[in-house]
Amino acid sequence: MQMLSEDDLNLRELSDEELDLAWDLWFDLAQATNEWDPPYSHGVFVNLGSPPETARPTPTPSAPGSSAEQVTSPSGVRT
Amino acid sequence: MRASGHFSSFQAREPGAGRYTAPVSNIYFELTEAFNARQRVVALASGQAVVYYRVAIMSKDGDWMIRETPEACATVLEELDRRGAHYRAGAPLDVRWLSGGWSSHFEFSDDRQRRVRCDFLSRPPRTSQSAVRRIFAGDKAPSGMNVVDLDTLIAMKQTQRAKDYPVIGVLATQLPPEREIEVTTDPDRIIALAGTFGHSAGRPVARLAATGADRHAVVLALAEEIDGLQQADRQRMAAYEAAARPYMEGCRAAGIHAIPLREAHDRMLAIAERLLPRALFPGSCNADAQ
Repeated sequence: MQMLSEDDLNLRELSDEELDLAWDLWFDLAQATNEWDPPYSHGVFVNLGSPPETARPTPTPSAPGSSAEQVTSPSGVRT
Repeated sequence: MRASGHFSSFQAREPGAGRYTAPVSNIYFELTEAFNARQRVVALASGQAVVYYRVAIMSKDGDWMIRETPEACATVLEELDRRGAHYRAGAPLDVRWLSGGWSSHFEFSDDRQRRVRCDFLSRPPRTSQSAVRRIFAGDKAPSGMNVVDLDTLIAMKQTQRAKDYPVIGVLATQLPPEREIEVTTDPDRIIALAGTFGHSAGRPVARLAATGADRHAVVLALAEEIDGLQQADRQRMAAYEAAARPYMEGCRAAGIHAIPLREAHDRMLAIAERLLPRALFPGSCNADAQ
């Protein structure tokens, strides 16, 4: 039974440089969901709710093409 | 598997420039090497270790096992302070609480204003102290990146989260078959390996497969085993959650997240001494928490 996708499994075929580039691009894109991330993903506090300083905003739907829907990297590249 | 060369010679592409201008590296790999520059004080764990083993790109945070010494804590705090990190609500990075299974949490922005979150613990869950000692064997700075071994990583991944179990199945394929059958979450691998390794396995589902049980029975036994792991993890976390509430309220009231790291550390120590029990399960392996 294959447990992960071909894209994941192909990571083993990447060079160190390619893996760094792939991870860097993914990390850029993943910044778009920072506000919705749980406060803790590891450690003994994972079951605690959002502390006040990181209270999660309620996601709001956006119209196609609106700025809220697009992912903008820190360097200004929209994806 | 990566053994060296964690800083890519590739360069990040600037919009419209058509050329590479900035070096690219995994910030969490870079931090691992920075923490360990003088002495082996941390080992990369959890999601970024999964990246290191080339199984999946699935975590935007960094998690480390930290050597349980005051010197290791000081080294990590110094590097985080240098990078402008601040504490997130969590235990102070101090051996008195780390040794009780507590975790410490930090955050800063990298030079591209991306959020970098750093989590530390010294007692990985379901992991023996002898295994921890092996990870930190030798005091000199490591020649390659220090990463938790596959067995420890798999144990750390046996959490309450469903998404960790497919990853365990893929990580297990990198183990020798007699170890793979003890931890894999892939029923077909259990069945395939059972004839050779199942009878002597310590794992009930592997021994069940070795008796010739059909696939459906193996799948059900595996599902029950995973559910048991998830429930055990939830119960342990619930104990920490309950014990931490007064302390966490104290940290929030003090505005820890907005205080410079060194000052926050001192204030958190003072709050922890009043409100955070050092060990929930003294003398028990349950002190090993995630």
